[in-house]
Amino acid sequence: MSGKLALTCAALCVALLAGIPGAFARGNADPGITPTSILLGGTAPLSGSASAFSSVARGAEAYFKYVNAKGGVNGRKIDYRYLDDAYNPAQTVQATRQLVESDKVFAIFNSVGTEHNQAIQSYLNQLQVPQLFPASGSTSFGRDFAKYPWTTAGFQPSYQAEGWIYGKYLARTKPGAKIAVIFQNDDYGKDLLAGLKQGIQRSTVKIAAAEPYEVTASDVQSQIAKLKASGADTLMIFATPRFAIQSFVFANKLGWKPLIFDNIVSSASSIMTIASEGGRSRSVEGALSGVFLKDPTDPKWVNDPGVKLYRQILKAYAPGANWKDAYHGYGMAVAYTMVEVLKAAGKNPTRASVMAQTAKLNVVSNPFLLPGIVAKTTATERFPIEQAQLERWEKGKWIQFGALWGYRA
Amino acid sequence: MPVAFAFSELGQQVVSGLASGAVYAALALALVIIYRSTGVINFAQGEMAMFATYIAWTLDVNHGFPFWGAFFATLAISFLGGVVIQRAVIAPIQGASVLTIVIVTIGLILVLNGLATWIWTGEVRAFDSPFPTRTVDIGGVAISLQDVGTLGVVLGFVVALWAFFRFTKLGLALRASALNPEASRLVGVRVGWMLALGWGLAAMLGAVAGMLAAPTVFLDPQMMQAILLYAFAAAVLGGIDSPVGAIVGGLLLGVGLNLIGTYAKLDLWFIHIDLTAAELRLPLALLLILAVLLVRPAGLLGKPEVKRV
Amino acid sequence: MSHRLPSRTASVVALFVAATAVVLVLPAFVSEFRAQQFAYVGIYLIALVGLNILTGYTGQISLGHGAFMAVGAYTTAILISDQGLRIGGHTFANDLKDVWTIPLAALVAGIAGFLFGVPALRLSGLYLALATFAIAVSAPAVFKKFETFTGGGTGINLFGIKGLTGSISGVHVFGHKLAFYDWLYYLSWTIALVLLAAAWLLLRGRIGRAFRAVRDSESAAASSGVSLATYKTLAFAISAAYAGVAGALYAIANTYVNPDTFPITLSIFLLVGLVVGGLGTLSGLIVGAVLVQFLPLWSQEVSKSPGAPAVVYGVILIAIMLALPGGVAGLLRRVLPLARRLYTRPR
Repeated sequence: MSGKLALTCAALCVALLAGIPGAFARGNADPGITPTSILLGGTAPLSGSASAFSSVARGAEAYFKYVNAKGGVNGRKIDYRYLDDAYNPAQTVQATRQLVESDKVFAIFNSVGTEHNQAIQSYLNQLQVPQLFPASGSTSFGRDFAKYPWTTAGFQPSYQAEGWIYGKYLARTKPGAKIAVIFQNDDYGKDLLAGLKQGIQRSTVKIAAAEPYEVTASDVQSQIAKLKASGADTLMIFATPRFAIQSFVFANKLGWKPLIFDNIVSSASSIMTIASEGGRSRSVEGALSGVFLKDPTDPKWVNDPGVKLYRQILKAYAPGANWKDAYHGYGMAVAYTMVEVLKAAGKNPTRASVMAQTAKLNVVSNPFLLPGIVAKTTATERFPIEQAQLERWEKGKWIQFGALWGYRA
Repeated sequence: MPVAFAFSELGQQVVSGLASGAVYAALALALVIIYRSTGVINFAQGEMAMFATYIAWTLDVNHGFPFWGAFFATLAISFLGGVVIQRAVIAPIQGASVLTIVIVTIGLILVLNGLATWIWTGEVRAFDSPFPTRTVDIGGVAISLQDVGTLGVVLGFVVALWAFFRFTKLGLALRASALNPEASRLVGVRVGWMLALGWGLAAMLGAVAGMLAAPTVFLDPQMMQAILLYAFAAAVLGGIDSPVGAIVGGLLLGVGLNLIGTYAKLDLWFIHIDLTAAELRLPLALLLILAVLLVRPAGLLGKPEVKRV
Repeated sequence: MSHRLPSRTASVVALFVAATAVVLVLPAFVSEFRAQQFAYVGIYLIALVGLNILTGYTGQISLGHGAFMAVGAYTTAILISDQGLRIGGHTFANDLKDVWTIPLAALVAGIAGFLFGVPALRLSGLYLALATFAIAVSAPAVFKKFETFTGGGTGINLFGIKGLTGSISGVHVFGHKLAFYDWLYYLSWTIALVLLAAAWLLLRGRIGRAFRAVRDSESAAASSGVSLATYKTLAFAISAAYAGVAGALYAIANTYVNPDTFPITLSIFLLVGLVVGGLGTLSGLIVGAVLVQFLPLWSQEVSKSPGAPAVVYGVILIAIMLALPGGVAGLLRRVLPLARRLYTRPR
């Protein structure tokens, strides 16, 4: 082993010598940051069955390129590197190690997936690498900040908050309702269900049946049939787009017409249009959902400056990207916040100072969020987005109604 | 034994089981045709079907073909595709070990899936069904016309194929090549092209399966993966060398899984069995197959393999 | 024949010693991150040696070895976890140190392989491939179902717990301090070399001959008194045990286990690595292990557009199989005549 020791000493000496002039410059002790650039890394499912979520990374990348074209943040260009993890947490671990130790990123940003972020959470926290805005609505990320001080919450209403909002709305407007739930059999689906149960506590609304499905299922026809047989009058769809569409379609096929709630992940207008079977199905009419981002395919926002900016950025910096894919919009919204955090961290951001900023967010001007929604965190309240608006699908588009809902644990 | 029983629900599960079973049957038949004519198990059959469905979709949506026009155009294109794949990629390794061929078909899966994702992205899309989505009420059972149409199309193709094999010279040549390539060559049959023809026909069948499944499961690059597994199960259940077995196996599997998924629950004293969980559907299908294989290794309608020593 | 054996054995031993030396010294020349990647190559090598015993030597196709790796990984993870996982009345709480669970993982996986091997006796060729495929596809769902002791979909997080010898900080071994990745590298390669030697010893004896007899002709083997049942199940058990060891190391390396970390693609890529590397030859196994670890990464280098890496990977597979039915090692064999004397090719 002494050979390795000698080599290591030699390497250290060289690094020290090379670093001395750097130490006198306005450089940083943290890796991934130079006077002219800041390197962010993340993972996304570029291949495999979840590749639709990769648009989240592509949208953020486009936004950073736009910001760079205008000079960057405090003179630094943002270099955002994302690797494929094929939605396999084992690969997330390896790819993240590569980003942290080989590419030496400043922070991990916008990695996709709940279990995937959980797999790297302890590692990043021990190495004190910021884990910024995991692309997941899992409640655990905002809740466990004391145990994992280097991890922020996701940039969306937590799944639990969302379920809670639906439950509370029902408790207020439809007492005695009987709910049937179809949910994905993982943290995402179970979180939504837990929130729903919390929201309907101490009310006359009851859950009549809850059917899980696996991501590997080919279809959810039998679950919908069973839910119909439970006699419920309300259906909660806590499913990803493919299965949400199927739920609408099978409910229609079976002649079941409950009040349907669709979760935010699967509520983009393009998805609802498919679920309405070209307008032939009546089951989507009157469906409810929550929303916190401006849906680019919603005709209401066609002249909105934020959506126009979104389309311009995509066209210029992500050629070939489909602007109707709303996940790009999520990516831009979170990238916007990232830029605000970096700006607030000042001329010489460090990992610690950036983390400190994520605990005192107060951004009101995000052009990609619904007007009125504020990205806000405090020392004790770490979820940046806890508001959503309810919307109803009427004649081919979402109509928002009511005031903004805020989640109260 | 207290069993909640509603005839209408039973009927509904049977009918929808027959429809999903018809899709498994079509894909299973494709597998059987390739196996019988070339001795190869085409693991890429599902991805070929998926790719064909995307072609139909793009013809319909992007190029303005009417549905049936796109349908038959896709059949022609997938036939050609099957022939090309066999000639280009399978024929060169026809004599190689089973493993080599397995690896090549795995490579095909990756290429087709990757290509579809690259060209059309992983976004979920709608696929029009040629059949109305109305349901007809017969004795309290809501029978979907789409299910009936699916069953009808598959059975129609099966009959057409049967007629082709039975009554045409080409079909005879195909059967002969599969049974005894050497003797067929001696009587002038171009065995190599017969194999390609087999692949072409199978690709067509796969396209039919894909286009019939897509209105229900929706179009995305992953749509055929689970269906392929069920098709394998159906083919093995019915006998990997029996076309009739593939159909029977597919229909039985579709109905059987639906019934198990609805009724296989027993709560009697200390006996608590619940097989209705949806996540058990695929493992159950595979377990069923294993069980059948242990009892009848050649499948329900297959011919027992006689090994010459 | 016997006068050739000593020199052949000698060359194998010499090669082995040389390989050991290379393995020992390598970390000094590469970054720690590379050492980690090579550690995974070692892990895959163990799995491939096992798969080779089953597929290359005994002629039984397995598309399900990822599931046996999962069994080994979960065994290790459950035994050292501190999440409160339970079986029956017993709660697991840091019962063992990770390294000592490896033999247990091998045992449990070996038993699983044996249990599968018994009904698999009735299946052959294609049906066996389908059955193993079925196991690999259903395994994640089964792991998810038994939440109380597998942690369900959330999985088992091992990072930083007591049972793990190292997860980021250095490790003290024989008085030296090793970086975590170097320790991982030495752990996997030490075990890989030991198990490789064990496999070689096993296969050059009676058992190896029996395996090859089963592969070449089952009826001939049976009529010569080779019990098909014994040797087929033995092959399954041994290869599953190897996969279990690989799985245990995989869990230690990833510090995280959940059903999605063993998708069907793992089983498929193992078989692909074996065949493309070169079935049955030692050099093929190493090439195969390198392919399993690096080919997905290299495919991404070509293009990151969604779907493109898969196309690249698939095209490479098809091209290699069409051009080199004997795998990459087949090519090496033609290019390096010396290798012909040294590899343990089944005859």
